[in-house]
Amino acid sequence: MNLRFLDWIWHVRGTVPLAPEQTVDDAFERLDPLFRQTGTSHERTDDTLSFRKKDQAAQDRMAVFDDGLLQIRRGADGLMLQYRLTSRMLLFCFLAPLLFLGFAQATVLLPKLSRPAAEAKAKKPEVEKPLAKLNPIDAALGAPAPEKPKKKKEEEKPSPTAGYVFAGLFALLYVVGRILESRRIAALFRKSLSGV
Amino acid sequence: MTFRFDFRHLHTVTRYCGDKMNGVRVGKRVIGAQAPVTVGWDNIPKVEGGPVKQFVFTWFQPTMLFLLIAFWFYAPNSIAKASTAIGIGIGFKVLLLGLEWLTPRHESWKLTWKELTTDLFYVGLGYTALRMVDGYIGDGVMIEAIQHNFNVEKFAWFTGLPLLVQALIISLVFDFGQYWMHRGMHNWGPLWVTHAPHHYITQLNINKGAVGNPLELFLIGLGVGGFFDFMPRAALLAGTFGLAVGTYQHINVRFNSPRWWRFLFNTTEHHSVHHSQDFEASRSNYSNTWIIIDRMFGTCVDGEAELLGMEGGRRMSVRETMVFPFTEGWKTFKARFGARERFDHAPSGAVMPAE
Repeated sequence: MNLRFLDWIWHVRGTVPLAPEQTVDDAFERLDPLFRQTGTSHERTDDTLSFRKKDQAAQDRMAVFDDGLLQIRRGADGLMLQYRLTSRMLLFCFLAPLLFLGFAQATVLLPKLSRPAAEAKAKKPEVEKPLAKLNPIDAALGAPAPEKPKKKKEEEKPSPTAGYVFAGLFALLYVVGRILESRRIAALFRKSLSGV
Repeated sequence: MTFRFDFRHLHTVTRYCGDKMNGVRVGKRVIGAQAPVTVGWDNIPKVEGGPVKQFVFTWFQPTMLFLLIAFWFYAPNSIAKASTAIGIGIGFKVLLLGLEWLTPRHESWKLTWKELTTDLFYVGLGYTALRMVDGYIGDGVMIEAIQHNFNVEKFAWFTGLPLLVQALIISLVFDFGQYWMHRGMHNWGPLWVTHAPHHYITQLNINKGAVGNPLELFLIGLGVGGFFDFMPRAALLAGTFGLAVGTYQHINVRFNSPRWWRFLFNTTEHHSVHHSQDFEASRSNYSNTWIIIDRMFGTCVDGEAELLGMEGGRRMSVRETMVFPFTEGWKTFKARFGARERFDHAPSGAVMPAE
């Protein structure tokens, strides 16, 4: 399977133009603080910088990315910073809906699988819960009187709703994150290169 | 440094001054020797802004508590049920997330997309996988067992008490249990390895309470819920204390909590001290809701901290969080019994060191 058609899911690529008079060394010097963070190691050759992150802090501005390659190349309009970054979190978020759909299905299937065992077990007599009387103070304050508890419905099925909700939530989070983080990193590189 | 023991409040109050990293003496302990901790309510910054903002951030917490108690006290029986509580809980947390976004306490605690996604993963686990497991071995099963083996009519004296008194007793008793469970987690290795991943968080946000190993989340989830079937309204009222107080533990918002509130209840300031990178500070403020329990047992430190986490702030990945109790347990096992083996194979008459 050619991953090239799929790797956009967790790879972010882009280019940022350098200022007209900016040199390669100057550009990497301005980007350097981004890679001097806890859990980050980086290596620089002439026009290439590669980095890796492990257990990076939440406060790290590039925390969402785990490794990447930055290169400065000459384009038609001058020098350009080209970057290719990898994010395991984006991949995790992309796959999370499948996990939660799995939980949803398990919620439905597991009781069905354990039903024969439950039926074989001697059924315990239902505990007769005495109807609690409302305290006179509560009655005076206007609290509703307790009602006789309804009989528990036989075969109360556990609901898979939570699984479906979280699957949808992560699908939405992925779309938001994929767009937001690529824009953020481009803006971060642009800001760093211009020295703002 | 001045030192004053205030009998009325049953805690020691110290005025912070001097070199931060020497720490501050609180009772018999020195707090803040390893990482910065601000000790003492007088030293904690207040909410800045005009009179309206001051008013809102002073009275927000007591007002929400009062409104929620009033809701559950007067709600018709048809809506006084667990699903309503869940809905209210979610709505309340969304509101607080919005408040975090608008008025963050610390910039370094601001929620990023990555942190929000990670936090929601743990929250999602709680609502799905953990709930499934709970159905087989959780507190609901235990309570059902208790109900079948005890004569429930003998508890009529309790269910006849005023609702708020019932709720207060339930909340205090369960928080008492939570306090000792939590204190045990910080003092006994086998429990610590389940709880340690939670202490690697370096920010406090609304959903960070859910971050941790599922074993720990199961242990601390043993709570009020099991009594719902038995005494629904009292259980809902008790749960409201947890929601209207405990939710603020992990919040990135500053409140000017009234004096009586922070005397009785756990606050975000208290919990930030508990999550501090300072070892001694982390061994304080164990309760969930009622900080007065910590005051009773001498483990309360009034103060706040911004620098949180373990191992200098290393972030723990989801993968490591899931396996941490088992990998650490295995390492401890090997270290203990592996060392013994080396001694057993030592030449006769000599005890050889491991190295």
